[in-house]
Amino acid sequence: MLAIDARDVAKTFRAGWIGRRETVALDGVSLGVERGAIFGLLGPNGAGKTTLLSIFATLLLPDRGRITVLGLDVVKDATEVRRRLNMASGNASFLWNLRPPEILSFYGRLYGVSGRALRRRVDELLTVCELDPHRRVPYNELSTGLKQRLALAKSLLNDPELLFLDEPTLGLDPDVSTRLRRYVASLRRERGMTIVLTTHYMREAEELCDEIAFIKAGRIFARGSAGDLKRAIQLGDVIALRLDPPDVRLDDAPGVLRAVAANGWIEYTVDAAEKRVPELLQRLHADGVVVRGIEVREPDLEDVFVEMAR
Amino acid sequence: MIGSRAEKCWRAEGLLRAEATAVWAFAVRNLQMATRNVFLLFELLFWPVVGVSTIGLMTRFLALSTEDAAFVLIGQMAFSIVSTCQLDVAYSVIYDIWSKSMKHQFLAPIGIRHLTIGSWTVGILRGTLVFLLTGGLAAWAFRINVFDPGLGPVVTLLAGCFLTAWIVGVCVCALIMLFGGRAETAAWAPINLVLALSGIYYPVSVLPSAAAHVARAIPLTYFLDTYRSNFGFPSAYPHAALTGFALSAGYVMLSHWALLAAVGRARRTGLLLKMSE
Ligand SMILES: Nc1ncnc2c1ncn2[C@@H]1O[C@H](COP(=O)(O)OP(=O)(O)OP(=O)(O)O)[C@@H](O)[C@H]1O
Ligand SMILES: [Mg+2]
Repeated sequence: MLAIDARDVAKTFRAGWIGRRETVALDGVSLGVERGAIFGLLGPNGAGKTTLLSIFATLLLPDRGRITVLGLDVVKDATEVRRRLNMASGNASFLWNLRPPEILSFYGRLYGVSGRALRRRVDELLTVCELDPHRRVPYNELSTGLKQRLALAKSLLNDPELLFLDEPTLGLDPDVSTRLRRYVASLRRERGMTIVLTTHYMREAEELCDEIAFIKAGRIFARGSAGDLKRAIQLGDVIALRLDPPDVRLDDAPGVLRAVAANGWIEYTVDAAEKRVPELLQRLHADGVVVRGIEVREPDLEDVFVEMAR
Repeated sequence: MIGSRAEKCWRAEGLLRAEATAVWAFAVRNLQMATRNVFLLFELLFWPVVGVSTIGLMTRFLALSTEDAAFVLIGQMAFSIVSTCQLDVAYSVIYDIWSKSMKHQFLAPIGIRHLTIGSWTVGILRGTLVFLLTGGLAAWAFRINVFDPGLGPVVTLLAGCFLTAWIVGVCVCALIMLFGGRAETAAWAPINLVLALSGIYYPVSVLPSAAAHVARAIPLTYFLDTYRSNFGFPSAYPHAALTGFALSAGYVMLSHWALLAAVGRARRTGLLLKMSE
């Protein structure tokens, strides 16, 4: 069962009443997200990630394409869709002189929660998101991390089936990000929430997402698990060697794609480490070269990102 | 059978409660913002008091009769009430422009009726306060009792002012949703001009004929006309109050539709997102 089923979504922004400027933000995106999955959207700045999330969340109307969210049409059944999803973004902003409980109560009421149920819900979310000590602080005096957590708390008010997170850990310190990621993972585990997130942090995508779509210039460029993407891009593995004597070179060995020397180490990029490591060692052994150090690295998603964004 | 009827009842009640809750959300927010900010309190007191004082002193200088003075003061008071109340309606989107939080409320399953009616109720509250305050001031400082006609006419006048304020406020919201935050300052001008044409300080009959036509299309004109008839100024229109209400109903629907269309357009052009970052 798909939580999101989008076919051929396109969106062009048109600015200016006279002398129109056009920006193609999405150019025929098709995407399916399984229920209960954590799905990551990756891509360079201006790729169209936020635009795509906004269309799924009914904040923006697509120019073309058919989009079903939780089995409902996002354009025709927008109100019903809104009841069942929510969204938090890393650069969210709320009324400057209201306090966290007031902000949460306001949005809670918009979802029809009132009275004691509302108070209970707000208290619970303030506790879960560790905002309890800051109950009386006006919004514009909260730190970035607290603002972000408040945005997350707001997005959980209606206990959504589908949650969109637009760069949820933007500007957070590593410790807070880690805890937030853990919490997001627990949302899926404990409540079966479907989560779609955008991020620029590869660690985040690798750690959290079952599936990743790489989007560039308004098109889906590649999709799959983090492992799939790495394989697809054929970046190769890296074998770093420190040899004695240090000037021995193996550039002509089979499977070697590149060789770079730095700080006494030579890094060989090979097609598949598990096959090439024994071959290289054998050859070095035969030549009587001493291996002082060896390191084998798989490329991480960061390398994939840099490669794809090119 | 009985079960299904009970269920229908229960669902209708739930729906009604959700409606009321969403309206209440905007009312509470406007109240919180109003009480949190001393300048808003200042705004509530300052301009109406200054307005009524200057106009009152002017009537004294011109040695107007009590009736003539009442005529002008009523216009000034109505203007203060409408201004105050419409500001509250407009705040329902202006706060979100200022705080760049627009998308969150349109992400929720609400209609624009919740937003406008919710903030309007706070506007009614503040408008009533302005009326009592300026009316009291007029009675105390200038010996003109604007409450004289009694409860019925007073309620009709206030209803007219609040309806006008709703229409003006919703139009301002629509303009802002259409042009974005930069329209905020420009949005007040044309609407206030139209209001000024409704014969605040003078009978509509003294207006040049083109302006008089515009005045006849403004509901407030009729509400002022009927209220002033209690102070010895014969009404220029048959069924003035009724005409006022009918006109208001038309404009209420038109402005509601305008805001609906503006929000729809903002969703299409991406302005809704731009107002949130
Ligand atoms: N509301 C808008 N009005 C006009 N143009 C827009 C709007 N929102 C986005 N764009 C344009 O559409 C393109 C895609 O933007 P989008 O915000 O979706 O990118 P993104 O992938 O989220 O980027 P980032 O990683 O920087 O957040 C960009 O060229 C941007 O300038
Ligand atoms: Mg973005």
